[in-house]
Amino acid sequence: MTPGGPAAADLTGEIRLLLAEITRDRAALEAPLGTALLRDGIGLDSLGGTVLLTEIKRRYGVDIADEDLNLDSLASIGTLASYVRARLTFGGPPGGSAARASAAPRSPR
Amino acid sequence: MIKCVIWDLDNTLLDGVYLESGDQPPPVSALGAVLHDLAGRGILHAIASRNPPDAGAYAEQATGHAFAAVVCGWGTKSAAIEAITAELGLTADEVAFVDDDALERAEVAFRLPDVLTLAPQDVPEAAASPSLGAPASTGEARRRGDLYLQRRARLEEARAFGGSREDFLRHCGTRVTIAHAVAADLPRLHELSERTRQFNSTGTPVPEAEFAALLRSADHEVMAVRLADRFGDDGLVGACVIATNPDGWQVRQLMMSCRALGRGVIDALLAWLCRAARAAGSDEIEVTCVISQRNVPLRIALTSAGFRAGDEPEADGASRTALYRRPAGDTLPELPDWVTVPA
Repeated sequence: MTPGGPAAADLTGEIRLLLAEITRDRAALEAPLGTALLRDGIGLDSLGGTVLLTEIKRRYGVDIADEDLNLDSLASIGTLASYVRARLTFGGPPGGSAARASAAPRSPR
Repeated sequence: MIKCVIWDLDNTLLDGVYLESGDQPPPVSALGAVLHDLAGRGILHAIASRNPPDAGAYAEQATGHAFAAVVCGWGTKSAAIEAITAELGLTADEVAFVDDDALERAEVAFRLPDVLTLAPQDVPEAAASPSLGAPASTGEARRRGDLYLQRRARLEEARAFGGSREDFLRHCGTRVTIAHAVAADLPRLHELSERTRQFNSTGTPVPEAEFAALLRSADHEVMAVRLADRFGDDGLVGACVIATNPDGWQVRQLMMSCRALGRGVIDALLAWLCRAARAAGSDEIEVTCVISQRNVPLRIALTSAGFRAGDEPEADGASRTALYRRPAGDTLPELPDWVTVPA
């Protein structure tokens, strides 16, 4: 992964691949961008959703669980890709794995 | 609280190196008693080893102990631990890792700082510490090891199963029962409030006496959720406390054991809540939920069931609390046919 923000298509592709890995179903690779992630769409349950958020945080340093109370970014493949892209472009950590790892989440723990 | 101890094999659980020994190395005898003692307290055991897969089977045969998860391969120990915690539905701070190699312990401590790392010689002392779990007080807690073995069998079958998750739950003969809690459930209700994190709306332990008072209260309902399938009976895995205000039901406590994760239980409970609230004439249902990194699975389940959080969570000292609301009048989530609700 290139630090500092991958090309839009790459990021969406990476997220599709991640979804396909979590659901063990290739459907996520080609489903329309508007396909819902939870329930009837891609079919993520709370376990799959948690794995997804953990992996997004690990790969991109974007802590969706902490920032997005209603998890609106999980509405569809497209909203998730847009959210991560916006955070990497405008509000994300400067890039590089070390910088990502040290991006302090606004955690109440 | 530690719920699982993950063991290295070579020169840790085994007295020698598996691949280098002509005769396969025997288990370290001093650790056999520790394995047994911890298992009796409801603590799981797992294996993370740089060895071929047959090393796990050998360790099970040599120690006479069945492990809840076994990862043998050539990746890093931190990756093996992540695979095990994902498989068992645990978080990093709920596991301890034992390895004789200081470099392996350092790798894990660096990548997964929440994991308790121990050298083998530290284990007997650590095992005596209360952080490794008090003696199990309920049947469910004492049977944790068995229940996780059933979980392992279920996961292996799920990997080979081709259909959807719903099809798999049906294939397993999943049975979820949602019924009014009774006095006999009190110890387990308290235990759930103390031990659950990922599906716990408050994160605060509730004493048995408080649950007992809620059982007697005319303004509250305490519902107990049980789970079983053809692999085994998980017993009481979840519960919720509802203030049955006529204007709107308020869920004060919602909790579920992580071993019910991925088995449709939380979705079933939320669907039941919405339907029961409507049947009672309530317009709205509200869940008070502390926002933490630990209970993300619960928040995903709430969002998935159509709940929405208020804009700004209320901050109370170190914790943030949000109200998740949902009208009880619109299209309600379906209650799967494997859910039973006794009258």
